[in-house]
Amino acid sequence: MSNKKRYSIEQKQAKWGLLFTVPCVLFFAVFCFYPIISAFVTSLTDAKILSKTREFVGLKNYIYLFTKENGGFSLYNSIRATFVFTLGTFIPMVIVSLIISVLLMQLRKPSHRGFFQIAFYMPAVLSSVVAAAIWMILFDPRGLFNQFSNFIMFTSGKDFGWLVNTKMLQASTMIVYFWKYIGYFVILFITGLASIPSSLYEAAIVDGSTKWHTFWRITLPLLKPTVLLVSVMAMLQCLKTFSTQYMFHQGGAGRQPIDVITMNIYFTGIRNGRIARASAMSIILFVIMLLLTLLQFKVSNSDDVEY
Amino acid sequence: MNKFIGKISVTEVIVWTFLSLVLLFTILPIAFMVCASFMDAKQILAMPFTWIPSKEYFTTTDRTFATNFIKAILGNNEDSIFFRTLLNSLIVAISVSITTIFLASLCGYGLAKFKFKGKNVIFMSIMATMMIPFEAIMIPLYMVTSSLNMINSYRGLIVPFLVSAFGVFQMRQYLLTFPSEFIDASRVDGMGEFKIYANIVLPNCTPVMATLGILSFRNQWDNLLWPLLVSQRETMKTIPLYITKFSEEKQTDQGAMMAIALLASIPMFILFGFLSKYFLGGATVFDSRKG
Repeated sequence: MSNKKRYSIEQKQAKWGLLFTVPCVLFFAVFCFYPIISAFVTSLTDAKILSKTREFVGLKNYIYLFTKENGGFSLYNSIRATFVFTLGTFIPMVIVSLIISVLLMQLRKPSHRGFFQIAFYMPAVLSSVVAAAIWMILFDPRGLFNQFSNFIMFTSGKDFGWLVNTKMLQASTMIVYFWKYIGYFVILFITGLASIPSSLYEAAIVDGSTKWHTFWRITLPLLKPTVLLVSVMAMLQCLKTFSTQYMFHQGGAGRQPIDVITMNIYFTGIRNGRIARASAMSIILFVIMLLLTLLQFKVSNSDDVEY
Repeated sequence: MNKFIGKISVTEVIVWTFLSLVLLFTILPIAFMVCASFMDAKQILAMPFTWIPSKEYFTTTDRTFATNFIKAILGNNEDSIFFRTLLNSLIVAISVSITTIFLASLCGYGLAKFKFKGKNVIFMSIMATMMIPFEAIMIPLYMVTSSLNMINSYRGLIVPFLVSAFGVFQMRQYLLTFPSEFIDASRVDGMGEFKIYANIVLPNCTPVMATLGILSFRNQWDNLLWPLLVSQRETMKTIPLYITKFSEEKQTDQGAMMAIALLASIPMFILFGFLSKYFLGGATVFDSRKG
């Protein structure tokens, strides 16, 4: 084959490769990169939803958000609400799903394991709005979950105020989220556990190691990268929560305790028409998540285990 | 060492007890939704709660098994938009699944099996978009959509989700392991490049296509935030919006509320029933980072 012909084949290849990727590249340029730049630019102006003109105001929106109340729903409160929700949800979720998946691996029959996995995953199949709707009824003072709370706390007829009390309201949103996503995280851990070679466990049994010992000395250290990765993933997902809080608020719960950043962006930008201010909040959310994603990359690259 | 009760070890008892408790926690609220969708508010909030709808309750003339469901479908003003919102949700979710599968496989194939200048830059920038949360760009997206006159239209609901970076990544990872010999052989046979993609590559990635399709379908079925922004007209609303609106206006009619919740979940239950392995697969693919 002559050199010239080879060259043209490569060129043809390059042309087709580019042709196949161009639609997606255009899409991401228009619907991801442009909007984030646009959000940043808008955050430096005084844009409102109904006014056509906008003026450059520098960092005024950011200063406003960090120093003023924003009509009773301050950015500080939103950051607090978001972080309380995130920490209160992802830490129990990671720990409990880890425990569940380790226990699932103890089951002798794979079919039993499959059954539990599917049953635990069921809530994730429902949409978040449906999940919130179910739990809103369960959390009613006369609802099933309040009755259950009375049952375990040995009280009778006590109203725990799941949807009224500031602290309880925050806890309720956490419970809904935990309920919905627990099965999802169990499956992530099962995948990680399944990749640990069984020869290691067999060696441990031969050496006379107890199950407890095996867990702390073999399973957990080898699972560390998965645990870290799942934690950061869960954390990022919790930071973006919206549906549960929105649904609870529309159903009558107070906004202040559960006013997560995404909800504040929605209310400030769309309901109140303060686009510039909402854009500034979006950029702040973006920066928070960017830092955490970078952390995720660092974590997932540094600790890879070789078997 | 292991203590035994009969033939079952103590650890096994603990494991089964714990797992069963978790099972109750995950399943009971779903069972509650199903049972409550046949009850009236009085029964749903009865103390103590009984799971089976009582008999005398159905013998009254104004209530039947279907009462809640009829209320759920008719909505507030008897101008039933329930089926319209169901249809809208289906149209959006199915369209997004199809475009995601098509565009992601096309791009993933290009990135996995072709050599060209700037390929790595393209791949890295697509991966970088995963760091941009939708919630942070929804306001500018809303502005773009409204300037393109796409508010209250299917285009407005679908276009921002045509393809996902995660989908491209997944397709690329999968196709990296696809044997290049097949592709080269088809080239020798004189097949066009697009034909190779459509006839050789696509039919061989059905598992990953199914996983991706289901993931996109579910994400759209679940999507509340974006339709909240762009579907302002009643006839363009989707199921999550219908549920939210109903819960705002009929807070006290818990039975009808649960009936809607159940109706809205049926498509997902059917999908899950038939394709549960792809649902579970969708959760694990992210772990292919080693590939």
